[in-house]
Amino acid sequence: MATVQIFRQTGKQLLGAARCAVATSPSIRNKYYIVTPPEESMEWNDVTDRAVNNMFLLEIFRGMGITFSYLLREPATINYPFEKGPLSPRFRGEHALRRYPSGEERCIACKLCEAICPAQAITIEAEERPDGSRRTTRYDIDMTKCIYCGFCQEACPVDAIVEGPNFEFSTETHEEMLYNKEKLLNNGDKWESEIAANIQADHLYR
Amino acid sequence: MAKFFGVDKVVRFFQIVRDNGGIRGSLRALYRRDELKSGTLIGEDKYGNRYFENNMHFYGRNRWVEYADHVGLDYNASQVPPEWFGWLHYKTDLPPYKDPSRPNYKWMLDHTENMTGTRDAYMPYSTTRPKIEAWKPK
Amino acid sequence: MAAAVLGTVLRKSAGFPLVGKGLLKNGAGLYFIDQKRDAHQSGIDMEYLKQFHGPVMYPDEYTSQYPTTYRIELEPPREQVIQNSFLNFGPQHPAAHGVLRLVLELDAETVIRSDPHIGLLHRGTEKLIEYKTYTQALPYFDRLDYVSMMCNEQCYSLAVEKLLNIDVPIRAKYIRVLFAEITRILNHIMGIGTHALDIGALTPFFWLFEEREKLMEFYERVSGARMHAAYIRPGGVALDMPLGLMDDIYEFATKFAERCDEVEDLLTENRIWVARTVDVGVVSYEDALNCGFSGVMLRGSGIKWDLRKSQPYDAYDLVDFDVPIGVKGDCYDRYLCRVEEMRQSLRIIHQCLNQMPPGEIRTDDAKIAPPPRSEMKSSMEALIHHFKLFSQGYQVPPGATYTAIEAPKGEFGVYLVSDGGSKPYRCKIKAPGFAHLAALDMIGKKHMLADIVAIIGTLDVVFGEIDR
Repeated sequence: MATVQIFRQTGKQLLGAARCAVATSPSIRNKYYIVTPPEESMEWNDVTDRAVNNMFLLEIFRGMGITFSYLLREPATINYPFEKGPLSPRFRGEHALRRYPSGEERCIACKLCEAICPAQAITIEAEERPDGSRRTTRYDIDMTKCIYCGFCQEACPVDAIVEGPNFEFSTETHEEMLYNKEKLLNNGDKWESEIAANIQADHLYR
Repeated sequence: MAKFFGVDKVVRFFQIVRDNGGIRGSLRALYRRDELKSGTLIGEDKYGNRYFENNMHFYGRNRWVEYADHVGLDYNASQVPPEWFGWLHYKTDLPPYKDPSRPNYKWMLDHTENMTGTRDAYMPYSTTRPKIEAWKPK
Repeated sequence: MAAAVLGTVLRKSAGFPLVGKGLLKNGAGLYFIDQKRDAHQSGIDMEYLKQFHGPVMYPDEYTSQYPTTYRIELEPPREQVIQNSFLNFGPQHPAAHGVLRLVLELDAETVIRSDPHIGLLHRGTEKLIEYKTYTQALPYFDRLDYVSMMCNEQCYSLAVEKLLNIDVPIRAKYIRVLFAEITRILNHIMGIGTHALDIGALTPFFWLFEEREKLMEFYERVSGARMHAAYIRPGGVALDMPLGLMDDIYEFATKFAERCDEVEDLLTENRIWVARTVDVGVVSYEDALNCGFSGVMLRGSGIKWDLRKSQPYDAYDLVDFDVPIGVKGDCYDRYLCRVEEMRQSLRIIHQCLNQMPPGEIRTDDAKIAPPPRSEMKSSMEALIHHFKLFSQGYQVPPGATYTAIEAPKGEFGVYLVSDGGSKPYRCKIKAPGFAHLAALDMIGKKHMLADIVAIIGTLDVVFGEIDR
């Protein structure tokens, strides 16, 4: 209680000082307040208060009361996998390689994602295709190296590599996490519905 | 008055039991899902998963999925297809059949669950031609 | 059977030249016969007992005057070396907050010396950063103090901005302060929760983690990751806050004070909590200064020092807040400081939400911050900048800076040396927890073993930053 009072008093002082507060004003240095409870007073009143508190376990019962109140509240746990927690369109999960609506793959092997990747998880090899366009022949992501920072999707100039919304891709073995181009394109083909919805939802900020 | 004595809770309990298909159905649902809930059916995807909503529960529990009956106890969080993923994760309030902006290209693939640990699990392989072609002695 | 017996007999008769395993069905059994195991004997030395054999006569008045006829041959008293027991407070101990290995020298239950062994989470971050561009180095900072992620990013971003000599837009500053304070709550929730958990109060931990979950959702909504955000970048922040996020943060901030009250009701006056924390781990004013403490460890001892006040960075000079300090410097004062800091953080959050200005969230210098995607796709110049920034990075003028911020745990500093290239020449990270843990021996001396746990809890050590 004492802390609250101190807090209130300083708060009042602050309201006055707040208007003229600037970065270097010396008054800023003085906004410190002590939270340690003051020495126990030896007034008869306080002594009896403490004695009653000690004898009847008042603070213990107060704590128990709060704990009991939580018993009556709806529990905050969710029943995964039936209920799932909220996610945002920005969520950075499993990678996917996207295609243009025509079905042509987007990635043009500019290798910006490979360059920016802090964990060096991406390996790209490129060749010219028979039709003369430049495409990757190898696009491997070591998902065990990946730190899911999202730099690859920021770097990609054609929105080809994205970190999709899926986070339920844990595997039993290490090899299964070494994604190749086929797997990434498959991911894109499966998740396009949600990936496109995410990009649409976040287009204001990109 | 009924509310004061908590009668409405009893009524709700019986309603939930009825919605889950009587006592036997409720016990089965309880065994499978660890809890009994009833809500309005929002939709069903083509894999047989049914999606429910009941805003009586707080945000975070008010939408849930009942996995398809044929998977039995082998339900898996990754069985939710991408179309319903956003709705189930509270990204959008529109179920997929009401959302016209969702693309539907012919090259899009069917959803598969996480196949790890099964015969169909993904195994990495090289997508490039080998750099060195071995000489085949004759 | 017969062959085995015969073989045994042959073997036992000494010097028999033809002892061969050929006779034996089970040769291995022999070795057991050979060995003198003496298992049938008790540990009593029969030779020694012999002196007591003989007729016994009960002493009567007369015979009791006899001189003793035998002497028990005791070993002469030796000077014995009594060593205190050592306890390995191992890296798997749940109260070790990660991978702390403590070697405690105990006298019964009193700790005489505690020797923290660190390095089990060493990843070589500082060296790795020397081989990464300034952009790429950012995610490493999330992973230093992994319960106060954005504060680390903020410190690094401020250091790079100082070297670049740029200023960030005011909105970015406010967003940074907003999320730095969310991070402070996030960290103190973890700190208080696990501290209480270590001492035996499991309940507040669950309540607080429910709130922590909400804060991580804010992280996720703004950056896309629940913990390792990579959100605060040199030159501003990565993306603007999505619509509706500030409303939800406001709603959280109005309700969180109540959760603080509940935790305080449960802990602050509780006699067990008081008994376990008051006058435990006292750090005096001088000790706190001499040991290089910072943050709550410093303020708990009554030193008025807060970098947000003494050298305001970002928008801290534009918001009003107070800094709680303790007097005694024990675990209880530090706990009170942390709770009060959470309340002050709420105050800052409220102010940030109310004062949040519109505008840019990144510096408009295209040589440093990448252009927005829409611009990148429509303008050739922006695309060139984009490629340049994501492949080579940006050059930082030569120089060195030590930039420190008031991270939730204390002064988190980055000493960054640039040689003019696009990669840092050297990056030294000053982690607050390191100095705190180093003083564990000083603080924990003459405490009970159980108090060491309380002290580790109040130090709020996280091994991501200590081991780096």
